[in-house]
Amino acid sequence: MGVIVKRPYSEVIIGLGVALLFALTLFAVIAGATGFTPKEDIRPLAKFYLYYAINWYEKKYWAASPEAVNSMVWDYRGYDTLYETSVFFLAIIGAIAVFRIPKVKDVFTKGILSGKGLSLIVKTITKLVIAFVLIVSIAIAVHGNLTPGGGFQAGSAISIATLLAIAAFSRIFLEERKITTKLMLPIRVLGVLGIGLLALAPGLIALSGVTSFVIQNQPKPWANWGFIPGIGPFWLSGNQFFYNFCEFVAVGAGFTVIYLIFSIPELIYKKVLGK
Amino acid sequence: MTSMVSQALWIYFYITLIGLIAVSVYGIVVRPNLLKKIIALSILGDTANTFIIFLGFRRGGAAVPIFPSIKPTPEELLWFKETAVDPLPQCLVITAIVINMSVTAFLIALAIQLYRLYGTLDVRKAVRLRG
Amino acid sequence: MIEPTLITEILLAFALTLALIFAYLAIRERDLIKAIVFSALQSVAFAYAYYLLFAPDIVLAYIAVGVGIYSILLIYGVSKTERYEEV
Repeated sequence: MGVIVKRPYSEVIIGLGVALLFALTLFAVIAGATGFTPKEDIRPLAKFYLYYAINWYEKKYWAASPEAVNSMVWDYRGYDTLYETSVFFLAIIGAIAVFRIPKVKDVFTKGILSGKGLSLIVKTITKLVIAFVLIVSIAIAVHGNLTPGGGFQAGSAISIATLLAIAAFSRIFLEERKITTKLMLPIRVLGVLGIGLLALAPGLIALSGVTSFVIQNQPKPWANWGFIPGIGPFWLSGNQFFYNFCEFVAVGAGFTVIYLIFSIPELIYKKVLGK
Repeated sequence: MTSMVSQALWIYFYITLIGLIAVSVYGIVVRPNLLKKIIALSILGDTANTFIIFLGFRRGGAAVPIFPSIKPTPEELLWFKETAVDPLPQCLVITAIVINMSVTAFLIALAIQLYRLYGTLDVRKAVRLRG
Repeated sequence: MIEPTLITEILLAFALTLALIFAYLAIRERDLIKAIVFSALQSVAFAYAYYLLFAPDIVLAYIAVGVGIYSILLIYGVSKTERYEEV
């Protein structure tokens, strides 16, 4: 059981041969599909999306947002984003379930290791950097329908702030200030619930007789109601602003839970497994 | 309109991307450590995303698919339609990045649990220990 | 003179070559901490290529995920298991 034969050279050659065959097949397929010269024109479907994304003169197809990519993520191709959010939700639940411990009270009190953290210079600089990261990530989330940005980008950026706090201060320091998994899991569920309610709200309106479809943003000729594009000086683009904010909350809280659970020391798991 | 140097550079781009796919598939098949396999899998996913964005590129006077103001005139809309890069591949790539990230996080959790139960991360040794 | 599109293509060739070199070094390295550092550098080279291809949303998403989340989760994995790879 403990003796490993050194890998014979024939296996390495077979591995390289398989990789090269795969690469050559892929090359033949792609050269047939795109050709060698770059194109100077794009497909008609892309021209349709670019022309009608912010077209005030033909409001049959518009999405009320000058950013074509964000309006396609939440309005024109909204079903893809809905299922992708559910895949992300379930993957985080799976990772938490693998790392579960029967008695939660033994872990979250001051027991094995003291929470001292790193030196004073590192702590002072980390406080400044965490403040800047929080401001930039909230700006990316709120401006998502006017400039490059959106929900996912901002959620990934704000989880880095929690990671810096765990590294420079310690996990026990954060838990004494009530940033635990017990607080972050309900915040994450509230974010995903917000997205679900906004997507299924047209179902409630259909009960009163008006035709509507799931993930509806602006009025169409056959479904004659919609969200307001802007209130006063704020340009909301229908419900894209609220989608961006709920996705930011859900992704940020999800990754914070993962970092807090991965920081639990290994001695506790060894005690539980009985080794 | 495209000169010889441009043609040669575009062929070189495709050769580089095919080389990246070959390196990552070699890493998945031959290397025995589980964490090295996960690193190679993430490189493969990123190369596939770059292929998709190459398909939507427009050569010669391109622009970002974001319009600079809220109230456009009809002539500006026609200019935008004839100059901007394809936005549909970028929407699909954002979805693909989030799904790859969540699957990789779950795989790393499973690899750590495998080390706790079997005592090794080498797949050649772990295959022989059953149960 | 050199046109602007030719400058973009030369810089794109430089970025993709750098990504290929870092990916090859990451796969044949036996110390796992150095392999994680090379993987993060390869993510930065890809992010520069996405910027040259006129895709600003993807640059923001990919830098936060590639340099932040992948490196951190792999470093947690290495600290809970072994550091050196055999053969």
